[in-house]
Amino acid sequence: MKRRRWITVAMVTALLGGFAALPGEAARPEGTLTVAVATFGNERWLPHLYVGAEDVVLKPLWENLLSRNAKGDLIPMLAERWQVTDGGRTWTFHLRKGVRFHNGTELTAEDVKFTFASIARDGSANSMAPEFRTIKSMEVEGPYTISLRFDKPFVTLGNRVTQGLFASVAYIHSRKHIETAGEQGAERQPLGTGPWKFVEHVRGDRIVYEAVETHWRAVPHFKRLVFLKVPEPATRMAMLRAGGADVIEIGGEYLDELKKVGIRTLVMPNVAAVWVILGGQWPTKPSYDPKVPWAQPDAERAKKVRLALNLAVDKKAIFERVLGGVGTPVGTVNYYPTDPWISAALLKPVPYDPPKAKALLAEAGYPNGFEVTMNLTAWPGRGYLPDVGEAVATYWERVGLKVKRRPVDRAVFSADFRARSYAGVALAYAGPIIAPEPWELFARIAQTKSAVHLLVEHPKLDAFIDRLATEPSAAERTRIMREEMGPWLYDYMPAVSIGATHSIAGVGPKVGEWPLIPGHMGIHNWEYVTRAAR
Amino acid sequence: MWRYLLGRVLQTVLSLLVVVSIVFVLTRLSGNPIYLLLDVNATERDQEILTRHLGLDKPLPVQYGIYVMNVARGDFGTSIITRRPVTEHIWERLPATVELGFVAMLLSVLIGIPLGVYSAVRRGGIMDKGARIFAVLGQSMPTFWLGLMLILFFGVVLGVLPAGGRGGPLHLILPAFTLGYFTSAAILRLTRSAMLEVLASDYIKFARLKGLHEQVVLWKHGLRNALLPVVTFAVLLFVQFLGGAVVTETVFAWPGLGRLILESITTRDYPIVQAGVLVLSTLYLTGNLLVDLLYSYLNPRIRHAGG
Repeated sequence: MKRRRWITVAMVTALLGGFAALPGEAARPEGTLTVAVATFGNERWLPHLYVGAEDVVLKPLWENLLSRNAKGDLIPMLAERWQVTDGGRTWTFHLRKGVRFHNGTELTAEDVKFTFASIARDGSANSMAPEFRTIKSMEVEGPYTISLRFDKPFVTLGNRVTQGLFASVAYIHSRKHIETAGEQGAERQPLGTGPWKFVEHVRGDRIVYEAVETHWRAVPHFKRLVFLKVPEPATRMAMLRAGGADVIEIGGEYLDELKKVGIRTLVMPNVAAVWVILGGQWPTKPSYDPKVPWAQPDAERAKKVRLALNLAVDKKAIFERVLGGVGTPVGTVNYYPTDPWISAALLKPVPYDPPKAKALLAEAGYPNGFEVTMNLTAWPGRGYLPDVGEAVATYWERVGLKVKRRPVDRAVFSADFRARSYAGVALAYAGPIIAPEPWELFARIAQTKSAVHLLVEHPKLDAFIDRLATEPSAAERTRIMREEMGPWLYDYMPAVSIGATHSIAGVGPKVGEWPLIPGHMGIHNWEYVTRAAR
Repeated sequence: MWRYLLGRVLQTVLSLLVVVSIVFVLTRLSGNPIYLLLDVNATERDQEILTRHLGLDKPLPVQYGIYVMNVARGDFGTSIITRRPVTEHIWERLPATVELGFVAMLLSVLIGIPLGVYSAVRRGGIMDKGARIFAVLGQSMPTFWLGLMLILFFGVVLGVLPAGGRGGPLHLILPAFTLGYFTSAAILRLTRSAMLEVLASDYIKFARLKGLHEQVVLWKHGLRNALLPVVTFAVLLFVQFLGGAVVTETVFAWPGLGRLILESITTRDYPIVQAGVLVLSTLYLTGNLLVDLLYSYLNPRIRHAGG
């Protein structure tokens, strides 16, 4: 009798244990995930005040209309479906019902309208302000439906309202909260719909979030998410090794060191394209200098110079020695090895051939080289750029150029960017993957009408951008990028293309699985990070 | 005495004005914050609006005049980056810096003075040689390197102390030692030389002849007289700690005033840089003034020479 009772108890226990382990039932959030990052950006919480560098630390709190899946395709998030009509001039988003902000109020189309209007307002610091200002009208067609209309087709608006890209800062805010609390109040107590709710922000030190245990989309595995601002990479490494942090942002140059001490790394591949800007290729602007060898009016000679500058540089060695081996040399500026529009011809790096470089320089009329200034400027999150510039300068010296190194602060050089006052100056740059299609970045930084210039201004490139920006068919855009724009860029060679580099993070023993969205530059998907099995 | 006092106060105010002016000019020479605040693709109109909003469209002399008037009223302005009052930022960060500076100072004094005394008493002995090596190392080792080594050893290898960040008392030990080591070495050297001078004086010999216990001679009569320059030095060092802890605060991710100023320099947040430097200069100059006044009180020859 006693034995039978024990068997019954054991069976019930096993059954309960089995239920507890069923895959559909999420475990309650537990523990703290501590993340050490280099910067919190401007530490702002309103749509017109954050620029984009805050992406990593803001993302847990908010959500976007759309997201991207593991293949990089757009998928629903706050919008459960959307329609693009009138050749890309009208976008209609149908919001998911029942999504609530952390104070309990329901998300509606009015919140979307308010957010987009805030991004577009005058003086907005948001990196997407110029694009959101092209919205002609926003019509709230019901509590859960909003239509955005444009004068010209905006075929890639989906990429602007999605999460999963570097500059994805169109997070949807609560209109009521900001209007009630005021901007200062909303900055102190930000409110979102994301899987993490705001707990504390100690400026320059920490941001603390807590898991939303009833979130509609994903209940985090960790109870708390703490971001610490640790500017010094060696300290971040030490904190990870000592257990003071579970995840750290780190540059590729530290990869070897991480491997040596047995730290696991998380690689976000192909998130920045590195190239060397050859300043002065703006023939229509007053600061154009015809004496700059690579931008001179004689197009053939200028092209020979640009090709020589490419042939002089060993890109593979730069990846191996300067970038920690994380990345791939690519021959076409701002094209990535995994793009659907890449081809073997576009991918192939310009070979390392110093004798040919010297011969081309001589043919172009520079048998003894020429003088050039290489600016050594670090960008946030891209601290390796001065080293890339230094390496390229050294290669150029080997083919006879006289290179003057000029360490210069980003703020100082930003003024040169806008004034286009750096003709004849070279600069290593890494274009973040702000959008999946390369022309979207070119439209910002390489178009005659752009505010700044980081590549080349050329009527041909302008025409490509204009065509692609209004082409509603994704297949046709892919064809244009692969068969027309890519080959033109490869042939014209407006810069020294180094290739595509990755972003990495160091991960501690508490962290389990971590699914990532391809092409996303910063660390993301915090809500899907699992706890490691003990 | 009053004339001397008034003269020194006036000198301090003038020094502050010079500091304010230099910082005002230098920050504006170092680049426009608008370019860092806005996206690279921002329009001319966005730039104009923001420039006007921040008052950067006015001529420099006008900006300077407004700034000085506001500072005189205790208004340091609003941060360009966060658009919050600068005083809020300063008050947020000052406690962390004072906490670190205070503990570092305490460690410096607790290490530097006893070692300095024993080094003087055992001049030429093993203790003295050891203390001098300690002092040379302390004054020659870069703070940055020392901090990282301490983190690696105590944080990573032994795992007994946190590697960075601000938290409980344990978080204070490594940054405070890093910051305090340099000054403990300086205090050690100063105490040693002052003690050597005092120990050779007649009144110490007399005290010994009276048959006083050696410890009493040493600590009561010797150290008390040797301490004056040490205390003066320590006060100035403490004030220096408040602004000079930038490297330590960066290595240990310590959210203090030094790091705030450094970050504000890189983002061209003029109002915070100006206010931060002004606060530190005021503390330094006030410390100097108090030390001068103390000296003049203790030594009448100084105030007569000065007045």
